[in-house]
Amino acid sequence: MAGTKHHDYHILPPDIVPLLTTIGALTFTSGMVLFMHDMPGGAFVPWLGMALLLASMFTWFSKIVNEAHAGDHTPVVQLHQRYGMILFIASEVMFFAGWFWAFFDFSLFPSELSEAVAGQWPPKAVEAVMDPFDLPLLNTLILLCSGTTVTWAHHALIHGDREGLKMGLWATVLLGILFTSIQAYEYVHAPFPFGQNTYGSAFYMATGFHGFHVIVGTIMLIVCLVRAYKGDFTPRQHFGFEAAAWYWHFVDVVWLFLFVAVYIWGGWGYPTH
Amino acid sequence: MATTADHFQAHSEEHAHDHKPGFFARWFMSTNHKDIGTMYLIFAIIAGIVGGAFSGMMRVELADPGIQYLDTFARWFGATNPDFNSTLHVWNVLITAHGLIMVFFMVMPAIIGGFGNWFVPIMIGAPDMAFPRMNNISFWLTVAGFISLLCSAFVPGGTGLGAGTGWTVYAPLSTTGSPGPAVDFGIFSLHLAGAGSIMGAINFITTIFNMRAPGMTIHKMPLFVWSVLVTAFLLLLALPVLAAAITMLLTDRNFGTTFFDPAGGGDPVLYQHLFWFFGHPEVYIMILPGFGIISQIVSTFSKKPVFGYLGMAYAMVAIGVVGFIVWAHHMYTSGLSVNTKMYFTAATMVIAVPTGVKIFSWIATMWGGSVSFKSPMVWALGFIFLFTVGGVTGVVLANGGVDDNLHDTYYVVAHFHYVLSLGAVTALFAAFYYWFPKMSGRMHSEFLAHLHFWVFFIGVNLIFFPMHFLGLQGMPRRYPDYAEAYALWNQVATDGYMIMAASIGIWFVNIAYAFVAGKKAEDNYWGEGATTLEWTLTSPPPFHQFETLPVIEESHHH
Amino acid sequence: AVAPEPAAAPAQAAAGSYTPMTPTPGIGMPVDGGIGFQQQFSKLGEYGEWIHNAVLLPIIGVISVFVLVLLLIIIVRYNRRANPVPSKTSHHTVLEVIWTLVPVLILVGIAIPSIDLLAKQYKPAPKDALTIKVTGNQWFWTYGYPDNGDFEVISNMLNLPGQPTINNGVREVGSEPWDGPSHLEVDNRMVVPVGEPIRLQITASDVIHSFAVPSLWFKLDAVPGRINEKVLVVEKPGVYYGQCSELCGAKHGYMPIAVEALPRDKYNAWVLTHAGGAIDGQKAAGSETDYLPGEQPAGEASEAPAAEAAAE
Ligand code: HEA
Ligand code: HEA
Ligand code: CUA
Ligand SMILES: [Cu+2]
Repeated sequence: MAGTKHHDYHILPPDIVPLLTTIGALTFTSGMVLFMHDMPGGAFVPWLGMALLLASMFTWFSKIVNEAHAGDHTPVVQLHQRYGMILFIASEVMFFAGWFWAFFDFSLFPSELSEAVAGQWPPKAVEAVMDPFDLPLLNTLILLCSGTTVTWAHHALIHGDREGLKMGLWATVLLGILFTSIQAYEYVHAPFPFGQNTYGSAFYMATGFHGFHVIVGTIMLIVCLVRAYKGDFTPRQHFGFEAAAWYWHFVDVVWLFLFVAVYIWGGWGYPTH
Repeated sequence: MATTADHFQAHSEEHAHDHKPGFFARWFMSTNHKDIGTMYLIFAIIAGIVGGAFSGMMRVELADPGIQYLDTFARWFGATNPDFNSTLHVWNVLITAHGLIMVFFMVMPAIIGGFGNWFVPIMIGAPDMAFPRMNNISFWLTVAGFISLLCSAFVPGGTGLGAGTGWTVYAPLSTTGSPGPAVDFGIFSLHLAGAGSIMGAINFITTIFNMRAPGMTIHKMPLFVWSVLVTAFLLLLALPVLAAAITMLLTDRNFGTTFFDPAGGGDPVLYQHLFWFFGHPEVYIMILPGFGIISQIVSTFSKKPVFGYLGMAYAMVAIGVVGFIVWAHHMYTSGLSVNTKMYFTAATMVIAVPTGVKIFSWIATMWGGSVSFKSPMVWALGFIFLFTVGGVTGVVLANGGVDDNLHDTYYVVAHFHYVLSLGAVTALFAAFYYWFPKMSGRMHSEFLAHLHFWVFFIGVNLIFFPMHFLGLQGMPRRYPDYAEAYALWNQVATDGYMIMAASIGIWFVNIAYAFVAGKKAEDNYWGEGATTLEWTLTSPPPFHQFETLPVIEESHHH
Repeated sequence: AVAPEPAAAPAQAAAGSYTPMTPTPGIGMPVDGGIGFQQQFSKLGEYGEWIHNAVLLPIIGVISVFVLVLLLIIIVRYNRRANPVPSKTSHHTVLEVIWTLVPVLILVGIAIPSIDLLAKQYKPAPKDALTIKVTGNQWFWTYGYPDNGDFEVISNMLNLPGQPTINNGVREVGSEPWDGPSHLEVDNRMVVPVGEPIRLQITASDVIHSFAVPSLWFKLDAVPGRINEKVLVVEKPGVYYGQCSELCGAKHGYMPIAVEALPRDKYNAWVLTHAGGAIDGQKAAGSETDYLPGEQPAGEASEAPAAEAAAE
């Protein structure tokens, strides 16, 4: 654009995508308000917003990939990206801290006055909880396993083993999908409903947001897989892959906390089915 | 740094007429930190006028006991024949919108988005922010949040149009107490603006850690950069907790969860914990960049380096850290246990210590200096005094046993306007006069800037000082109407508002003057005291500065 | 300390009579143009007021003036003309240590009485203290008297002359001789016995409200789903006004609190004016505490039958 630059930073040309993404986000949130209050447009405006949001995010990330190919991602720019990702994950940690805070507030100080809870945890209204050592344990193993497969993929990538990279990624993606499916199955068969009392609220919102993050992580890994087939990533430069892997590990750790706190400790000694 | 300046001048001149994108591309697709900063500033000024106008509506209503104007205001917002409850509801909408706009759409965008964007990269010798495209969406999301908030004013929110929950959005008033879409628009407004701010925080931290010019070690960064760094960490760690809290509100409202619904075992006080875990760091988010700005100005106009630089930097870090463990001082009357109250009383008072370090270090910076009282300096001196007054009343409130009387009275309103409307806003105006010629290339009128200061100073003190009296006498906040005994000081406050409003008029005249008749600004129009890197650039700086990175020499000290 | 009036004869109490007390202007309410705390009528209030007026206010006043004076000295002595050549000092370890340590000491000095006040404030009520249940509602208060036959008082703000009706069916302020200030007076006050500890159990039925009476140094939130408890001891007979202090919707500004503290016998008489009002001697008397012992001879009032006096 301007004069010649004598530094390695990435100076970008003007770009419409941020504005489009914002319009998508605002359309989505406004559409959700319409939807939640059965107002006109509630049936389609959220979808419209979502579509615009996804399309612009897709464009955005494609641009980043293209810029990587164009050599814009100098070592210092890659360092930016590392910082950016770590900080993003830090903010996500705090987001989950909020949900855990709610969970521990309810479980350590169950309301005496509410009939639904009656001073006990899990609340009186909850007849049975999930058996943590049944499918949730399986899910824990699946996620732990996926953590190793993604590391396998990474090692393969560093050592130039493209097939290993693809295998590892395939395995991780499949494990991720398996996890999500089992989680969906669990939700459908759960012995307690969504909402209605603090157990249903804290349980579903915390695990639900985790599940959402698993889906996002899976999509990130699928993108990596596609890129792997297209020949992207070199042993020395593959931050897109690393970011996905970090994110995946983060999601993994959150699950471990959920598993130990919500599933095991939070339902200890309670009837299960 | 003065030496680097000359070395560096040569380069920036080379690209003095670098070409800029066309209008649409430049302003709607911007990836340029200075343009984005400018947009943030313009946005913040618009939001400040809206928020300031709302406070004017509040002040005229409060001028006398009884309800005088709320009915008219209700009609402005589109209500036809409002009944008494929806008339009163307008009050709650006004204070909610005023609080949210001033906090999220005026102070934060102006001080971090505006001045932070403009000067953090320049002060560390970087050509732009680390993530220029993300910088742009941070801005637009702020605008989207504002639009969402404005939408909320025109849809039902319970007893009337608009969200009337207070800026704290306490449940269950904000859940079962406010059916209708207004509060949902409000919640999404915070989601959008919050997402923008988190991205902004990531951007600033990355920029400051990775893009410092050669030789600009972390302990050489100007204090304004330090302040933005600490602020960015507070944003990064506090906002997501707010996001979780308001998401709980959203699902309680619409999807049947019971986080805050006692019938399902939920706990309204949990919301307060989550909100204030964010909310207290938030108040430091609003003031820390102001601290940074004051440090730059005080040093510039005293022609002295900042006194106790390291102490200054780490005092801000300390304020940031301690700021995370004092939140429940906003909840002393919510039924906390006595031990909890004792802890929060003690922890809260601790913050006065690093803040005192800052106040005294500014004074020591000026002590022995050769101080010239240019407009930014006058505003900075005003800041130091007014912030002290606001800070020490905070120490009064910190005492849980005393707050049992003062909580939710006008004493609190007085306290936080002294630190915000007289603290943060004064710092904003100081920054404005300090950097406006740098940003626009035109000098403002020093006379008008001084006049602006004095009229503002008198006005805001008249508004807010008497509020201490009202609070001590027991006048509760968030009341559109009050007992006769409170009439006198309310009248004075409203008169003060009129004076303050005049000062804002002077400010606009000054801006107009600068653009129409202002002298061209030199590169370093404040002279030898101004040593940071922005003074090595032209006014306004080239579209892309530092295409060759400046080198900061060993010897020099902030 | 104010000793309650000698107990009245049981027969008199049994009659169940009550005329609202006429408040003394300026007592238990804000005063025109006032600039300090309302006069306090509880031990804790006196202590709190002392901490503010004798400890906090002087300290913050001195600090603010100190900062101002330093700034003025700078303006006079270190302006460009008076001091053309700036010094270059930017460190002074001793100074920095002083301005860190002195504030620490000041704060410790504040913390000692302050923590003490907190501890006193939260002394639990003696077991046999009278319990009153306070419930915040949109937009009125209800006061339950479980120890006196569990009747309930509904308390609405009086309407304001010349303003839209705030509470239907409620008279206007000033229409009775005993009415206190507008915005503060209610149709039915919360009547309490003077001089003895009262356990207030505070909750809400809809959203959060806050039960606050400035002249009694009392403020505690009424949170739905929780019962917040705190002791109240009123030192002197009188009417003490307060206002809801947590935003609770449209008429948050119109749900005042009026606490009328009466000597035990008059309190008993008031109780008996309520349908179901009963005096339980065991509970009402003999609560020997370190607060302020009501000089009620045990059993005196218990003779009174649970008269079914007509409700107002
Ligand atoms: C910029 C914003 C800002 C800042 C910087 C502060 C700073 C402080 N605040 Fe304030 N506060 C708010 C904004 C801010 N506050 C807002 C918005 C609310 C209300 C929210 C709502 O309810 O809507 C609030 C409410 C609030 C409360 C709750 C009151 C209530 O609701 O009942 C309390 C209680 O502890 C408190 C305390 C403090 C303290 C101790 C500081 C300290 O950081 C101040 C430290 C500074 C000094 C003390 C002065 C300088 C120091 C010296 C000169 C050294 C010597 C001093 C001593 C030894 C004392 N604040
Ligand atoms: C930064 C925050 C901020 C600012 C600046 C102000 C400014 C003002 N505020 Fe307010 N206020 C709050 C934050 C703020 N306020 C909050 C959080 C609440 C609590 C809400 C609640 O209870 O929920 C509140 C509540 C509140 C009340 C209490 C309402 C009630 O409890 O019933 C009142 C009453 O008089 C009031 C008045 C005013 C007035 C007269 C001003 C005047 O000073 C306004 C004049 C305007 C300005 C000084 C701004 C001018 C600035 C610009 C135009 C932009 C400048 C930009 C650049 C230089 C780039 N405010
Ligand atoms: Cu009830 Cu405010
Ligand atoms: Cu705070």
